[in-house]
Amino acid sequence: MATLQAHNPGPNARPQPDAAAATVNPTADEGRATPPPGRGFPWRSLRRYVPLVLLAVFFVFPFLFMVVGAFKPDDRVLADGAGWKAFVPFGASLDNFTDAFSRAEFGRLFLNSVLITTCIVLGGLVVNSLAGYALARMRFRGRKILLGMVVTLAIIPFQAIAIPLLFMMSRIEWLDTYRVQIIPFLANPFFIYLFYSFFLGIPRELEEAARVDGAGPVTIFTRVIVPIARPVYATVAILSFLFSWGELLWPVLVTRGSTVRPLSQGMAVFQTQPPIQWGDIMAFATMTTLPILILFLVFQRAFVQGVSRTGLKG
Amino acid sequence: MPTEDLLARSRPNARDGPTRWFGYRRRHTFQPAEQTVGWLFSGPAVVLLTLFIVVPFLLAVGLSFTNQRLISPLPVRLVGMENYRRIFADPVFQRSLVNNAVFTVVVVPVQTVFALWLAVLVNQRIRFISLFRTAYFAPVVMIMAVAATIWKLLYDPDIGIIDGVLRAVTGGHLSPGWLRSSALALIAVIFMSIWQGVGFQMVVLLAGLQDVDRELYEAAEIDGANRWQQFRHITVPGLRNQLVFVATVTTILSFRLFDQVYVMTRGGPLDATQTMMTRLVDVGFNQQAIARGSAIAVVFFLIVCVVTLVQRLLLREREAD
Amino acid sequence: MASVVFDHATHSYAGAGAAPAVDRLDLRIDDGEFMVLVGPSGSGKSTALRMLAGLESVDAGAIRIGSDDVTALPPARRDIAMVFQNYALYPHMDVAANMGFALKIAGMAKPERDRRVREAARLLDLEPYLARKPRNLSGGQRQRVAMGRAIVREPRVFLMDEPLSNLDAKLRVQTRSQIAELTARLGVTTVYVTHDQVEAMTMGDRVAVLRDGVLQQVATPRQLYNSPANVFVAGFIGSPAMNLHTVPLVGRCAVLGGLQVELPAAALAAAAAEQLTHVRVGIRPESFAPVEQVAGGTVTGRVELVEDLGSDTYIHVAVDLPDGPAGFVVRADGRIQIHRNESLRLSVDPAEVHFFDPTTGSRLG
Repeated sequence: MATLQAHNPGPNARPQPDAAAATVNPTADEGRATPPPGRGFPWRSLRRYVPLVLLAVFFVFPFLFMVVGAFKPDDRVLADGAGWKAFVPFGASLDNFTDAFSRAEFGRLFLNSVLITTCIVLGGLVVNSLAGYALARMRFRGRKILLGMVVTLAIIPFQAIAIPLLFMMSRIEWLDTYRVQIIPFLANPFFIYLFYSFFLGIPRELEEAARVDGAGPVTIFTRVIVPIARPVYATVAILSFLFSWGELLWPVLVTRGSTVRPLSQGMAVFQTQPPIQWGDIMAFATMTTLPILILFLVFQRAFVQGVSRTGLKG
Repeated sequence: MPTEDLLARSRPNARDGPTRWFGYRRRHTFQPAEQTVGWLFSGPAVVLLTLFIVVPFLLAVGLSFTNQRLISPLPVRLVGMENYRRIFADPVFQRSLVNNAVFTVVVVPVQTVFALWLAVLVNQRIRFISLFRTAYFAPVVMIMAVAATIWKLLYDPDIGIIDGVLRAVTGGHLSPGWLRSSALALIAVIFMSIWQGVGFQMVVLLAGLQDVDRELYEAAEIDGANRWQQFRHITVPGLRNQLVFVATVTTILSFRLFDQVYVMTRGGPLDATQTMMTRLVDVGFNQQAIARGSAIAVVFFLIVCVVTLVQRLLLREREAD
Repeated sequence: MASVVFDHATHSYAGAGAAPAVDRLDLRIDDGEFMVLVGPSGSGKSTALRMLAGLESVDAGAIRIGSDDVTALPPARRDIAMVFQNYALYPHMDVAANMGFALKIAGMAKPERDRRVREAARLLDLEPYLARKPRNLSGGQRQRVAMGRAIVREPRVFLMDEPLSNLDAKLRVQTRSQIAELTARLGVTTVYVTHDQVEAMTMGDRVAVLRDGVLQQVATPRQLYNSPANVFVAGFIGSPAMNLHTVPLVGRCAVLGGLQVELPAAALAAAAAEQLTHVRVGIRPESFAPVEQVAGGTVTGRVELVEDLGSDTYIHVAVDLPDGPAGFVVRADGRIQIHRNESLRLSVDPAEVHFFDPTTGSRLG
């Protein structure tokens, strides 16, 4: 199983706030246990796991509840909810999953979400990184104004502009389309800023070397900058994926039927159709969450590394 | 097009930016000018930001001074500050302001301290630690609509595990019914928000922890500092940038509070969990009072701007010390 | 291969009213020559190199490579290769890709590209590392990759911006001679920037000394050492630095206490033309002769500090001159027995004394 690895490549960068552990075993490598202080069972290190395990339970039990519920009949979800039975899959079946596909058109919504999210993530990476690069490295008139604009716009939440935007979109008859769910979300000031601050940190010598080597701005960007900036691309891709996969308000406003509607809205709509079938909802929720969880587990290394190397450091 | 406009007015020899990319335009013209490339690179973003953020926002500002409704028989006219007077006189909006303030004041410090504790915990070098990191981060990847739905069930006074456990422990005496209690609903929202969001901050702070020079800890140890003193005098100052980032972003996000409330309580019970954003959607969309909704958006923007500025000033002052 | 000419080349940074970073630089570098630009930080040496590379603008004047005026050309079209101070290796490319990147951009076919990369790698002992990423190389290896990247291009001019400053002392000495040997073998014109006067003296065919953006002197290392054009060059070249003191000019002689040094005719004429009453005297630490041998008197000082380097001993001496106390550094044989607070009599070979105008700092004669 993939796990969340801290980015920590160099042997020189190995901070250790826990001085006791450092003294006990200064060479201990990532993932290796602290050796027991004496022989026999390592009670001391076991004690250190107590808070870790309790916290893990706190963070994970809703997941367990969700997944177990997804396999239970509706009435059992409700009946078992208040006790330990909530976490044991009594009467497990796949009925809820098939229901989610037939009643809630999970398949359709899923494909919609995949399409919309993919377009936003990929398109956004291109648009935002190009802008971040221009801001960080090129001199052109209006650069500072643009930078100020990016920082200011990052404050405005989408909800604040949703209503006038809806007004605009209905005027140009974009409602109930994919594009109305994609194009407004491509450019993102926060992501531009992340790219900008990362690019600022790339040594200028590299670009100068590439210029001396004969590369033009586009070549330098694609062949030198982008490969170096992989961590920040990973970070932005994951954040962007999370944001658009989870976007709730806008689809409510701009979609009517299930033709172009994404998963998040299906989730919300599902709960308003009586009778509320909690088993189906759990199955729907599980299938909505699983792809992101998998994607995250695959990319988390790059993501964590990205966080530690991007402007997220402040 | 702003791009062309700016290009037309561009000075040929602007020196305010960083790199010179090409040969020097004063002397020859066959190389594409850096101005042009700069705008070509940033152009798509500029156009999109303008169309989908700046214009709607300006529209919101404009609409907030009118009586525009989504569908209305009345002609649109200017009403001056009327919308602003109405929203500030609206007890629900007042309540939402208070709720937003409470949410922010509680979540920002609590979540930041919690995240710092988690980061220190998962920065230990012991076996399986990366499993724990993953576990603590997992809620971040659960989208809010799903997380809120799950927690709605967990909080349920009849079928939820939380009250179930409380009843079992207290012999049936304690069953507060969280989201259905106007006194506790906001606390329940706060608790769930921290559960969902703290993992992200943990990762940011963890990245910072690993950048603190290890020699500093060794020096402190030689100076006789105990573990708490090392944390206080080395870890925390070393994480200053990350802590500032985390606190600033959390503040902005706190004001945006919407999704979990929308799914779990729709602002209830008795407006106990109304926020500026739920009020905005309610007024602007459900009641179709676009103009008043826009006024809320403008007020929201101004509040966030002021808070951000104040925060920045305070932090800058500390930096000057 | 080509000569390089700076023709009144000037670069001013953005700050209005500030002095130009490089001020009307006139410098001709011959075909195949190894020219070192040396000076303290802020002297404009790196800026001059970057102007030649096309990374900084030439705001007035011109730069020519061979017969081409490259003043306005972008770096790629100047047919130059550059070695950067921090090497600027592309971290995501292996050594071979790093070295071949420019050729790839230029559209060279892969077989030819590989051939040239391998050739350069052989020249630099980099063959075992061609598939490695820069982060897996030692400092010295990275430095050689940076060199290799320049060599494969077979450019008309090599530009090197303090390429040794990130190496440890021992490796620096080793690499220094390798670079000098390599460029000599390839016969490519090289412009080399450094702040280290030892590098300048040992590597350069000629050395150009810059200060505050202004060229002070261009000459062979020997000439620079033997007849520095002004006080700045005199003090900058040589270690320990030349002893420089302003003393009265009496008749034909500069008077250092009991020591009277006669000025050569040319210097005397120049001093007379300027009606000087004082001259600035420069004496290299090794120019002090062994005690009590030379005619013309001696000066006595008190030993303040003895630095024993084994082969040599540097003796810091305080001398009372007519205008006040002055410090001298004397280089003596390593076997000398002398201690703090003892007194020391010094004499000097008049032929090895330099004379400068005390106000302008220029060499007299």
